Amino acid sequence: MPTVPPAATSPRPEGAQAPPEPTVGREALGFLTDTTLCIGCKACEVACKQWNALPLDDFGFKGRSYDHTGDLGATTWRHVAFIERLTDTAAAGGDGVASGAAPRPTVLPPFQSHWLMMSDVCKHCVEAGCLQACPTGAIIRTEFDTVVIQQDICNGCGYCLPACPFGVPALSPTDHKAHKCTLCYDRLRDGLEPACAKACPTDSIQFGRVDALRARARERVAALRARGVVGAYLYGDETVGGTGGIRGLNAMFILTAPSEVYNLPARPELPQRKVLPAFASLAGAALVLGAAVFVALRGPE
Amino acid sequence: MGGAAPRRSAPAGYYGLPVLHRPHWKWLVISYFFFGGIAGASYVVASLADLAGGRANARIARAGRYLSFAALLPCPPLLILDLGRPERFLHMLRVVKLRSPMSLGTWGLLLFSACSALAALGQAARDGLLPTRSLPRPLGAVPARAVGLLGTVPALFISGYTGVLLAATAVPLWTKSYLLLGPLFLASALSSAAAALTALLALWPGTPRAALERLARIERLALGTELALLLAERLVLGRTIARPLAEGHTGRVLRAVVGGGLLLPLALHALARPASGLAGRAGALASSLLALAGGFGLRYVVVMAGHASADDPAATFALTRGAASEPPAQ
Repeated sequence: MPTVPPAATSPRPEGAQAPPEPTVGREALGFLTDTTLCIGCKACEVACKQWNALPLDDFGFKGRSYDHTGDLGATTWRHVAFIERLTDTAAAGGDGVASGAAPRPTVLPPFQSHWLMMSDVCKHCVEAGCLQACPTGAIIRTEFDTVVIQQDICNGCGYCLPACPFGVPALSPTDHKAHKCTLCYDRLRDGLEPACAKACPTDSIQFGRVDALRARARERVAALRARGVVGAYLYGDETVGGTGGIRGLNAMFILTAPSEVYNLPARPELPQRKVLPAFASLAGAALVLGAAVFVALRGPE
Repeated sequence: MGGAAPRRSAPAGYYGLPVLHRPHWKWLVISYFFFGGIAGASYVVASLADLAGGRANARIARAGRYLSFAALLPCPPLLILDLGRPERFLHMLRVVKLRSPMSLGTWGLLLFSACSALAALGQAARDGLLPTRSLPRPLGAVPARAVGLLGTVPALFISGYTGVLLAATAVPLWTKSYLLLGPLFLASALSSAAAALTALLALWPGTPRAALERLARIERLALGTELALLLAERLVLGRTIARPLAEGHTGRVLRAVVGGGLLLPLALHALARPASGLAGRAGALASSLLALAGGFGLRYVVVMAGHASADDPAATFALTRGAASEPPAQ
């Protein structure tokens, strides 16, 4: 498996029963999801559900291309998006989404087909909005620099949902707690790579140390551009995807269209950057209104 | 839902699906915002009235202490019942997180509850309302003014932090107006508290006219501030993000709130001010009830418009487009 650094994924020797090596102080681990390699097989979705014992959510036909999953949710921690590019505007740097009268393309772009497929997942932000919002301390940063919701602590207040700029955590209608990708914390503890990365047949999902993945992503982007995929770029550094105080994503993506085509915000912001100025504004209003109330109470009887 | 959907040939983003996950908060949280605001702001009014002194203010302070505690009582159950796992509400007390307004709110509510309870019990002891003989003496010895002023800080916090709580999210309608939501909730809490106090004192025989007049002054001040802040909110949000305030169900409710809950009480104040006696009191009562309904409606609109905003990918992208909507050169 050339895509994973041996330190993070080499299985323990045959028959070893010893507890896993101490993991504290290891470097950040994450995902690189290279959408140019995704074939839309959904093996990641299935592997995630199987390993994490997540129930099936829906058996419906959504009528949105080949995507019948819809969204990341409490029981869906990988979600493969399908985008059919129906116009030639994509080649010109547009989003390629049908806008009515534009003609369908008659030639294939220099790479891939007219399909974009992307396996979405929790971004495991360097500065995570969900983690900072959580009032119970249920959401923690692990020794692998991943973001995990401790299920024995979460009380289902729901504040992490709107605090995530990517719409990742969700409340389960079954146990009423918040759930999301754990980056297979249990597998990492045992020196295994996450189930989705293990199952991905094209290595579209790569797992490893974040710094190594980032370096590899830049090489891959350069190679793709050299081969004619001029729109290729890395989503998840501090110029796009990990902006506004998020300071980068530990689960990043190689995209070939504007991020909004994949429902990813281009320049998200860490919501908690607003806490201090908002409280300062409230304090100012409290002083002014308090003084005004006092004056109103002092008039002649 | 749907009412605020963008009207375009192609939906924004990915099949027009939401980028964000909206919170589940509905009636329980909206009610908490309402009662918590009244509890906090009536405490502030009571403390300041006590400080200002005088017979009319003594009546306001007395009613404010009772009202604060009475409005506080439903708050913890409302919050606990809103949790997905109510039996785990104590987990809120595991940590103190300065960057989480909900965590700060938990501790602030705890602190404020102590102040509010102490102020109300002290008042009850002085009024001879406590049934036992042993309690009134230590409670009566509680320095009312000192407790009142010390508790003013957590009381002001409880009145307005809920706006900060909403602002510190990724929901476009809430976070784009992050400097306005706290002051808006504070002003709304103040108008609701003044209105509730007016209703109580208008029905309480022997209330001096000056007390009602002063409360009316506070109510006008708060309602006017709310109007200004709502206007500023519309200007700050921009057309796309403000859509749930202008269109659909939440837009209609907001128009009703501004008309019936802000402008109409202000108009009634202008009409009823010179009147005294029964007519004056009836007018005060009517405008108070309208302002109270408006205070509840405003919180309903802000929360539910936030839901619509979280569901609208066009609003999210209007917020997050920034300078880099195109892939950057690498």
